[in-house]
Amino acid sequence: MIRQRSAMLRLTLAVAGGIILLSLGAMALQYRSTQKALAAQDRATLAADVAAFAAFYDQRRIIALREAIAFRAATTPPDQALFLLQGKAGEPLAGNIETWPGDLPALVGGLSMDGARSFQHAAQPYLGVARMLPGGFPLLVARGQGQSQAVLDALARNILWVGLALCLVALLAGLGVARVVIGRIDHLNALADRVAAGDLGARLPGPRSDDEFGRLERHVHQMLDRIQNLNRATHRLSDAIAHELRTPLNRILQKLDRAPVDSEDRTALRDEVRAEMRGAIRIFDSLLDISGAEAASGQAPGLVPVDLSQLVEEVGELYEPLAEDGGLTYRIEVAPDLWVLGDRNLIAQCLSNLLDNAIKFCGPGDAITTTLAQEGERHLMEVRDTGPGLPDDIDGLAFERFTRGERDRAVAGHGLGLALVQAIATRHGARLTRPKVQKGFAISIAWPKMARPPDLIDDP
Amino acid sequence: MTDTPRILIVEDDAETADAIAAAVRDLGGDPVIMRNWADGVQAASLARFAVIVMDRMLPGGDGVDAIAKMRAAGSKALILVVSALGRAANKIEGLEKGADDYLAKPFDPDELRARLRALLRRNSMTVLDNDMLAFGDLEIRLKARTLHIGRAHVALSPKEFKLITYFARNAGEVVTRMQLLEHVWNLHFDPQTNVVDVHVGRLRRKLEAAAGRPVIHTERGEGYVFAPDGARG
Repeated sequence: MIRQRSAMLRLTLAVAGGIILLSLGAMALQYRSTQKALAAQDRATLAADVAAFAAFYDQRRIIALREAIAFRAATTPPDQALFLLQGKAGEPLAGNIETWPGDLPALVGGLSMDGARSFQHAAQPYLGVARMLPGGFPLLVARGQGQSQAVLDALARNILWVGLALCLVALLAGLGVARVVIGRIDHLNALADRVAAGDLGARLPGPRSDDEFGRLERHVHQMLDRIQNLNRATHRLSDAIAHELRTPLNRILQKLDRAPVDSEDRTALRDEVRAEMRGAIRIFDSLLDISGAEAASGQAPGLVPVDLSQLVEEVGELYEPLAEDGGLTYRIEVAPDLWVLGDRNLIAQCLSNLLDNAIKFCGPGDAITTTLAQEGERHLMEVRDTGPGLPDDIDGLAFERFTRGERDRAVAGHGLGLALVQAIATRHGARLTRPKVQKGFAISIAWPKMARPPDLIDDP
Repeated sequence: MTDTPRILIVEDDAETADAIAAAVRDLGGDPVIMRNWADGVQAASLARFAVIVMDRMLPGGDGVDAIAKMRAAGSKALILVVSALGRAANKIEGLEKGADDYLAKPFDPDELRARLRALLRRNSMTVLDNDMLAFGDLEIRLKARTLHIGRAHVALSPKEFKLITYFARNAGEVVTRMQLLEHVWNLHFDPQTNVVDVHVGRLRRKLEAAAGRPVIHTERGEGYVFAPDGARG
């Protein structure tokens, strides 16, 4: 909760801070450029005055200058501009002030903007030019900067107010954004809490929006759907295991109940119970094999180069007599020297399961064909029979654990064979398909191929 | 080696240890039971044993990891691992780490006896003729890969020859289907149907036809015994 709150605060402050910084920066820039423009304007006005007086002075010296200054002084208040022309003894000849401002030395030289400087007079800021004209006549021409200052002050006040208002608005905006973002994340958090508490069926209500949040929500929903399905499958599996193991245990119980009298019967009973126990152990073995292969899926460790051609021939040969005894036509067609990276024993078990199934379900006159051939980047292993094929009721479920057709209840088995085949194929990154056949059952496994290892010591 | 072979049993489960000890006594052996890893390793270095039967998930460690230690300490005993870690990958790991045989729990007492017998026999086996195994009029030539009974040559497929050779090396002893599958086909899993029976059946018929008497006998519920003289082991 604390982290969540602090995330909200951080986001709010970040958004608000960003807005404020940007706006203040823009306004500071505005202030600076106004200040510059005003200063340039003041200077230009002063330059115009100075140029005009210089023109008078050039024509008729002090007399013309005095007239011009007197004229200007009469129409200009001292806060706008200062004019003062003094005589040799310091007495004012013309101007709108009586006394020379302090700390402003009059420079010797022609009347120009050289040496223009700021100074204070009667608590007002001015920009002016002070000259000692030839013959000892001090002259002061200055423009008041009070108005410019007033404009700048007003601008600064505006900036202050706008800035304050901005802070407020930005904080509100940040809070709003944070509320929307964090609010939607909170929904997902609440959902996760419900799922963690055990409600795997929990979902967010309403439609999903078409933005990033909507996509995130959809992904979470898809994940939850998958988990729910897997969970259901696990439940189904454990139910099936419990059921399948009850059957042999129950049979053992029944058999033990019929207490045998003589030793011949006892021996028979012992053998029967033993066979049932072996069956139960075999179920566990198959389940362990399947989950072992599934757990190792996608991992290379433990896999070694295997001569698939040789292995298919060997396992094929192992089942040949059984098929012949069953009156089946049995063919094995293997392209030589095809190698895969695999677990020899698992691949053998995979093929053994397929052949075992085929022989179990085929009757006299049927044919079983095992082929191994290279096809592009894969080695295609195919087992094909002309038997009764899959019953319709399990067509889509053939690779699920404990799937058995109603039809085949009388045939020995637990419905784990094809599940193991699937798991072993997955373990090796092999693709498993069921090619269409007119009659019977066919399964095709495309193993990822590897080049023959160059200097491999032959398998003993 | 004395007449009664001493067999070390390293097993923490009392029930299983007793079952193994019973099997050892059945075979005329003298069982010594140790309950944990460290005691087992120590016992193996202190006395001379014909066979050591090792569990894997022991208090103190994995029995398979004890094999190297026992060998380093000078033990020449043959080692049979008996473990609930019974999948093919576990077996192969055990055999690669130096076990001489590997039996998965839960096991058939008959299977255990058969395997112990095979190990004890291997221990006391005198050096065979490198090329020929002979049992009366039955002669197996390993290099030529031929089988003769009397003067008649019996034509065998390569697998059948491997099968008869394995039987011959364990003559008089019970060999189980799993043993055959492991040693003749190098397959470490239990097929759903008894494919091995069909192969043995064919070989048996061939031999019987040539010899005029049963050569391979079925041991009810256990496996097969190769007894060319008609005598049972």
